[in-house]
Amino acid sequence: MNLSLPEYKKLRFVRWFDLRRLRVGNIAYILNRVTALGLVAYLYIHLVVLSLLAQGPSGWDPFIRVARTPFFLMLDVILLAGLLIHGLNGIRLALTGFGVGIRGQKPLFVALMIVAAVALIAAILKIFMH
Amino acid sequence: MSLDVTLRVFRYRPNQRAHYDTFNVTVPDAANVLDAIEQAWDKYDRDLMFRHACHHASCGTCAVRINGREKLPCIAPVRDYKTSKPITIEPLRNFPLVGDLVVDVAGFFQKQEASGLVITRPTEDTLDGKRIEHTQGLDSSAPVVPFNRFENCIECGICLSACPTMAADYKFFGPAGLAGIKRELDKTTDPEKRAALLQLADTEQGVWRCHSAWECTEACPQSVYPAEAIMELRQEITRQHFKNLFRR
Repeated sequence: MNLSLPEYKKLRFVRWFDLRRLRVGNIAYILNRVTALGLVAYLYIHLVVLSLLAQGPSGWDPFIRVARTPFFLMLDVILLAGLLIHGLNGIRLALTGFGVGIRGQKPLFVALMIVAAVALIAAILKIFMH
Repeated sequence: MSLDVTLRVFRYRPNQRAHYDTFNVTVPDAANVLDAIEQAWDKYDRDLMFRHACHHASCGTCAVRINGREKLPCIAPVRDYKTSKPITIEPLRNFPLVGDLVVDVAGFFQKQEASGLVITRPTEDTLDGKRIEHTQGLDSSAPVVPFNRFENCIECGICLSACPTMAADYKFFGPAGLAGIKRELDKTTDPEKRAALLQLADTEQGVWRCHSAWECTEACPQSVYPAEAIMELRQEITRQHFKNLFRR
């Protein structure tokens, strides 16, 4: 399938995920979009879940029991990963987007992702060893 | 010494099914990919459409994708690719297709013209931190005349092909055009011209459409650094907006 052909006009965004161009800038670009979609989806799920509070303890307590299962805690870890990646890369984009540190955008991304990884590992240990 | 190479070339004509043709060619060890394409055209299929001109990365005409990455095949040595596998040659992305490896660059050049980029520039006064003496070797009493040289940008379109934003939105002015605006901004101190250039860049399809993938800089074969130019333009535009805010 060649996306330059007119019949594939609406699918061109798929090029965003072309793995043959796995360079730092493109990795950051893809990660930002994927985490953004994930966080927006989480936002709506979160609002639905919070609405359980309005039902009082009978609505909220069963949810908390489910939320403490290992599967749900793993989902929390994935959420945290998305928050860290999106937030820290966002700082990089905010800086470079206004001409600050533009020549160092690659090492900045790598450094921020290392910070994200360390924070995530610390969070995993805290969540699962608690 | 020679190399046996298999080329897998994208073939397309309007109203026909796109497909890939395979050509087995033998080229000298020092040959570039463009030489292999030319041999495929010469020996096997004179209908193969592709562009080429200077053969030394000055014109940007031959730009294609080699194994998925934007390159100038005239300076891409065949030996840099594993000849045990076919080398896939495809047209640039994000341009309308004309046929085979040829894309329609009319829209691109319209944007370049709109950017106002003049293709020559005064040469730099320093190189690697050392001042260039323009009178070196000439009569020392002759007046110092700065040299003129071509801009780094050869308008090959590689940056547009590499840009993921361009993939989703053809109306985006594009890295080359925005880098051209930045170059013209650097060349002029005329306030009216500067204001006009910044206004051209400060649009929804201008600098603000860029989403910082930096692929244009990665792919550029000529050290134009279009991503950096876009960010510096943003900085300048934002500075002007703040100034205007406090002037009111």
